[in-house]
Amino acid sequence: MLKHCSPATAVAAAAIAAVIAAPASAKVEGDTIVLGSALSETGKYSTNGIHAKNGYNIAIDLINKTGGVKVGGKSYKLRVIYYDDESTPARGAQLAERLIRQDGVKYMLGPYSSGLTKAIAPVTEKYRIPMVEAEGASRSLFTKGYKYLFAVLSTSEQYLASAIQLAAEIADKAGKKRKDVKIAMAFENDPFSLDVRAGVIDDIKRLGMTVVIDDRLPRDLSDMTATLTKVRALKPDLLVVSGHSKGAATAARQIKELKIATPMIAMTHCESAKVVSKFGASVDGFLCPTQWAETLSYKGKYFGSAADFDKKFKATFSGYKTVPYQSAQAAAAVLVWKEAFERANSFDKEKVREAIASTEMTTFYGRIKFSKAGNNIAKPMVLRQIQDGNYVVVAPSKWASHKVQHPRKVQ
Amino acid sequence: MTGKRLELPGYLLLAVFGVIAPLVFPAYVQQIAMLWIMIVFALTWDTMGGQMGYNSLGNIFFFGAGMYIAAVCQIWPWYDVGEYTDPSGSLTTSFTTDQYFLGLALGVVLAAIGSVVLAALFGLIVFGLRGPYFAIGTLGMAIAAGELIGAWDWIGGGGGIRLPVFPSGTDAEPLFRVPFGDIQSADLQGVFFYWTCFVLAVLTFLFLRWLYRTRFGLMLNAIRDDETKAEALGVRTQLYKTVAWSISAFFLGISGALFGNIIGFMEPLEVAFPTVTFGIFMVLMALLGGKGTLWGPVIGATLFHIIKEVTWTHLLGWQWVVLGLLIVVTVVFFQQGIVGWLQERRPEWFGIEVDRGTAGQRADAEAAEALEAALDDAGGPAREPVR
Repeated sequence: MLKHCSPATAVAAAAIAAVIAAPASAKVEGDTIVLGSALSETGKYSTNGIHAKNGYNIAIDLINKTGGVKVGGKSYKLRVIYYDDESTPARGAQLAERLIRQDGVKYMLGPYSSGLTKAIAPVTEKYRIPMVEAEGASRSLFTKGYKYLFAVLSTSEQYLASAIQLAAEIADKAGKKRKDVKIAMAFENDPFSLDVRAGVIDDIKRLGMTVVIDDRLPRDLSDMTATLTKVRALKPDLLVVSGHSKGAATAARQIKELKIATPMIAMTHCESAKVVSKFGASVDGFLCPTQWAETLSYKGKYFGSAADFDKKFKATFSGYKTVPYQSAQAAAAVLVWKEAFERANSFDKEKVREAIASTEMTTFYGRIKFSKAGNNIAKPMVLRQIQDGNYVVVAPSKWASHKVQHPRKVQ
Repeated sequence: MTGKRLELPGYLLLAVFGVIAPLVFPAYVQQIAMLWIMIVFALTWDTMGGQMGYNSLGNIFFFGAGMYIAAVCQIWPWYDVGEYTDPSGSLTTSFTTDQYFLGLALGVVLAAIGSVVLAALFGLIVFGLRGPYFAIGTLGMAIAAGELIGAWDWIGGGGGIRLPVFPSGTDAEPLFRVPFGDIQSADLQGVFFYWTCFVLAVLTFLFLRWLYRTRFGLMLNAIRDDETKAEALGVRTQLYKTVAWSISAFFLGISGALFGNIIGFMEPLEVAFPTVTFGIFMVLMALLGGKGTLWGPVIGATLFHIIKEVTWTHLLGWQWVVLGLLIVVTVVFFQQGIVGWLQERRPEWFGIEVDRGTAGQRADAEAAEALEAALDDAGGPAREPVR
């Protein structure tokens, strides 16, 4: 009878070979500090994943070209190991594990979206690896007592708060009762948008207004005519939409096609969906909350002012008419790392964590100061309106450069 | 019976690998744990698609169902699930070690039982369908489940559920020192779930190995080969189909419960009911290895997992092209899969005796005679029949 290995032997041998083949490296290699990040390069978050990656890269380039990170009198360069999380939390958590255990990464940059951050934060927490993230805004990330999670952005309940406030103010001015203000809501069924929705509902309750439509939209949204048909019939005073870039693009397209005449429309992710260049005059008057705007008077040691960052970013990456805030905050997260390394003057991750926690800096992206829970409490959200194809700040009044146009012109 | 004699060292080698891997390669624990889950995926799919000939595209349904049942069981005894999953995240929670393991044990058991119940219920509906209709019907079931769960606020809707955190210590000192790295208390979660996944895969394999050798296994094959005839012969096909599906569901439900806890965060579409990733992978792995064989799914899953882990992260943006290529190559060139192909080439490796003794030889002889007769009639030279 023949002597051959059985299938089982082959399986075991193959598995062993695969395990041995993968390389391992360390957190600081020679004169390079290695950061790690799982980012959505494919899948439904890929648009914003790439905006974030561009943001990380532009900041890393700038730091590496201007002397690097100085620790213990020596200058180090920054490098990021990127993996593609395919926009799914399951993959994101596995890749975080891989970055930490196999690539030896000790310092993490965040992924894109609240869902992915929710999946990765428990992993970084478990290994006590500090993570500075720039794209996970969900409030629930900061109520879990995570000690190693820091976010440079404002949390999600603030996204549409000023739009709701504005609707109440307009009603007051027009002498309309607040409970007669009708609001239509359409939110994507994903962790981020549901969290924004929770914030909006709190605000609406507080201000005593009325919700007439409360629709959940599927992921990877490509059609919302059902909601918009209801909007035409019920004529709300304010339409609120949130659904990442794809959702914003779909909403803008169909609002144009169906000639929706709602006087006030607020939606997240206008910039990253590039609605102005795609849909032109039809999006005039949309209110878009933003974490950052190039017209704000923020200024910092790196990149100079917000406007300087805008210029540099557009010169570095082609195809951007408006720089999405996703890129700006990603760049800011890298700056937090640089400052923290230098202040800690050490690569010990506990010392670096301490340094991050005590961050207090002014950047082109705004002020950054973390609460005990790890979210940035020093920077407001601003509300912009698209006026004649430009994004102008209309709220809060401290930063407003233009008056809000109401009702919006329907074209 | 050569196959059997050679099988033993194979089992031993695999068992030894399974046992020492987490000690020798602590950094790869999660990836190897995923390998065991992939093997469970392929094996349970093959029970339906390979042994019984019912190509289910919706088996992932039980994975998600198990995951959600377990999550609810882990939270519900101690907190209000609706408050726990509220998107504003205002509820602060902490689980003691006892609460965690009690919840997990309850979750795993009920995930298994719940999945079996669901399989029996849905079996009543979908087993009225055959062939491609069955495939599409089950796929629809899994997709619908994802959407429905996504609309159910009590269990978090599209916002998902963050699972209780594994109670691991905070000591900075490693717990064990092993050759290629230390095991820290932070790694305990990985090690714990590694073992549960390994045991699950081994149990699934041994159970199916036993099952396929029983009369029940033959009934499944009979349904695959000709369901109408089997029915005519008095095989209670509906019963066998439902039981087979329940067996798949049982193991898949447990795998879902474990996977949810490994990842630590679940939401309906991408983690719990990922029809386009895991749902397709399980079919592909079984086809790649060889459907309808015991070892095929194991080999297919191992190979697939290795290809995926080694190449995917290095081929950013191309991984789906690689997956597509793999599907095309498997379907076009390897229809029987690796084991199926080997079985045909080298039946003796598998302990399959090709019967050339009586019936085989008689058939050969008859063919040779017929050929000779034909050649004689034609007046040509008599030749040795080619075999």
